[in-house]
Parts: sequence; structure tokens; C-alpha cells
Amino acid sequence: MIAFDIVLTLGLLACAAMALTLRDRTASIAAFVVAGLLIALSWVRLAAPDVALAEAAIGAGVTGALFLRSARRIGPITGGPVGGMSASIAAALGAGGLSAALFWAFAGTSGPVPYPPLVAANLEASGVTNPVTAVLLNFRAWDTLLEIAVLAVALALVVMLGPAPVVPRALGELVLPFARIVVPLAILVAGHLLWQGATAPGGAFQAGAVLAGGMLALVLAGIGPAGERIVRGALLLGLAGLAVFVGAALAAEGLTGRFLGYPAGAEKAWIIAIEASLTLSIAATLCLLFTGPVRRPHQ
Amino acid sequence: MTTDLVYHVAGAGLTGLALWRLATCRDALRRIMALNVLAIGIAMVLLASGFDAATGRTDPVPQAFALTGIVVLVSVTAALLALAERIGGRSND
Repeated sequence: MIAFDIVLTLGLLACAAMALTLRDRTASIAAFVVAGLLIALSWVRLAAPDVALAEAAIGAGVTGALFLRSARRIGPITGGPVGGMSASIAAALGAGGLSAALFWAFAGTSGPVPYPPLVAANLEASGVTNPVTAVLLNFRAWDTLLEIAVLAVALALVVMLGPAPVVPRALGELVLPFARIVVPLAILVAGHLLWQGATAPGGAFQAGAVLAGGMLALVLAGIGPAGERIVRGALLLGLAGLAVFVGAALAAEGLTGRFLGYPAGAEKAWIIAIEASLTLSIAATLCLLFTGPVRRPHQ
Repeated sequence: MTTDLVYHVAGAGLTGLALWRLATCRDALRRIMALNVLAIGIAMVLLASGFDAATGRTDPVPQAFALTGIVVLVSVTAALLALAERIGGRSND
């Protein structure tokens, strides 16, 4: 398998280099998406399927869609690089030096790592059997709470900036049959990922991203209601995840006296409830980050 | 040569590539993409250092960090792209 690892690594480095050097925007974004999928594959090889799922759905999928949307609005690349050849060589030397230092610092480390035994010892009490979900929503739930706060802040920023809304164009006759298959499938897959996140790779973020993909398919096909009230509802749903998580943190504090310490025996119910609301909220947020808010009449 | 070492090289390579492009590019979209590659490179280094070749498992704590990083990265990307459109866009504003 080492040969596979080396070929995969060379492929993803080549795709990343293409994404960052090609002057044609569409080709560059296509290379970025392919690089994202190869990176997801390499994370499966590193025994991190939860992260690989998130990278494939969010890192390659949603981010690629965002880039394509903006590339069209910003237009082709104009202007050359900063400085001349000598500046480029100097930057390459600096970046190469930092990269080599990073490799030396991390690849050289060895010795016992404290986390895996600690996680394994406390997994029983966390309520779930997937160690990554246990870390995300129990042991280090505070980090995840702040992460949801970052999503809410980004949503608020995008709403305030008010980018031009995405206007779907008529896409032909196959859109409706496509959406009829893809949208229910996305909802089913999201529900499956959410539920199995407790015991196997999956969870709120992956489920939310898949659900957002289904919603975007609806929006881009121009099917379904897309009025101002729907968008406002999605905005409220997007912010509701943070509200539910903060409410759960306060309630858990009141019940057990520990910060984000869920009542014993009911951990799984708490985690699934929080994750379910996060899934809907993340899906609505990702969708709104792509489509933008409703444009006010005077703009 | 072991699996984690290959991915250490990949992570460091992605980081270096992204830093070089961040330093030499003028285009806003390209810089945001370089920021994405930089974050992915760092996540790759974190995951590779959490990988235990003996058991074939990866430390769940760096996995949770990388997962958090991906979600934060997409929100940062969306916010930056909205700003970039505002600065350099030719939309009908």
C-alpha cells in the first residue's frame, strides 16, 4: 500500500499546484475540487473517515461551489504576480524553508501520546461509541460550541455585506427528474449520517453538508418556494443551532453543575438532540452562505 | 518509509505551496484558495502526527480539531469571498 500512498500524495500535490497556478479560473477551481477529493481519500488512508467525509462534502463540495459562484462575479485573473522573478524565488525559498521546518518538527516527534488512552478510558461514560463524536460533543463540546458561533458570525457577516443573490436559470428538462432523485436521497443520507455518527463515522457536520447539497440542488434548479419569507426562515434556522447549543449548555450546567456535563445515563439523548438541531442549522447556514440573503428593495 | 511519513511530506508540501502562492499572488480569489490549501496542509500534518502505524488508528483529538477546522474554514471562505466580491466584483452594485 505504500506505493498507493506515494502516488496519491503526488497526485494531490500536483492538483493543488494546478489549482494555485492555472490562470483559467474554471480549470483552477476544478483542480481544487479534485485535490479536495484526493485529500479526502488520503484521510481515509490515515484512518480518519469522519474528517474525510467532512472534507469531501464541505472542503471539496461546498467550498468549490462557493469559488465557482464568486469566480463568475469577480471575472478573470488580471495583473501579474507580486514583484519579479527574484521576489518569487525569495518567496519560494522562504516557504520551502518553513515547510521543511514543519516536516522536521512533526515527523521527528515520537513517544507516548496522552489522548487516545484517555479517550478510550472515558468512552463508556460519553454516551456514544464513535470516539470522534465523543470528543466533539462531550469531552471538548466547548470547542464545537465556539465553532457554531463562528458559523453564526460568518452568516451575520454575509448577511450584512449582502452579496448579489444567486439567480437560478432555467436548466432544461432533466432538472426535475434529477432533483426528484437527489433531494429525497440527500435527506435520507443526512438522517443516516446523523444517526450513525454516534457509533460509526458520521455526525452533524457531514449530515448538514449533505442536506445543504440537497437544498442547493433545489435552489439552483429554481424549484420550490424561494420567497423572502423562506429565506428569513432559513436565516432563523441557521441561527437556531447556536441558540439550542447554548440553551443545552445552560440546562446541563443547571442539572449537573458541570459545564456541558450531560446528566448521567442520558448522554446519548442529549448528544443526538444537539446534533439534530446542529444538522438543520448547518444545512441552512451553508445554503445561505452560498445563495446570500434577500436583497432589500432599495439596493 | 511508513504511511504517516508520506503524509507528513504531503502536509508540509501543501503548506509550503500555499505559503508561496500567498506571498506571490495579487488576485484575491487565488489568495483565498491558497488559504484553503494552507489549512488543509496543516490538518494533514495534524492527522499524520496522530496516526499510529502500530495499531492503524488515528488519535481522535486531532481528528476533532481537523473537523472543526474544516467547518471554520468554509465559513471564513464564504465571508472572504463576499468581501472579495465587494472589493473587486463587477456585479450590479
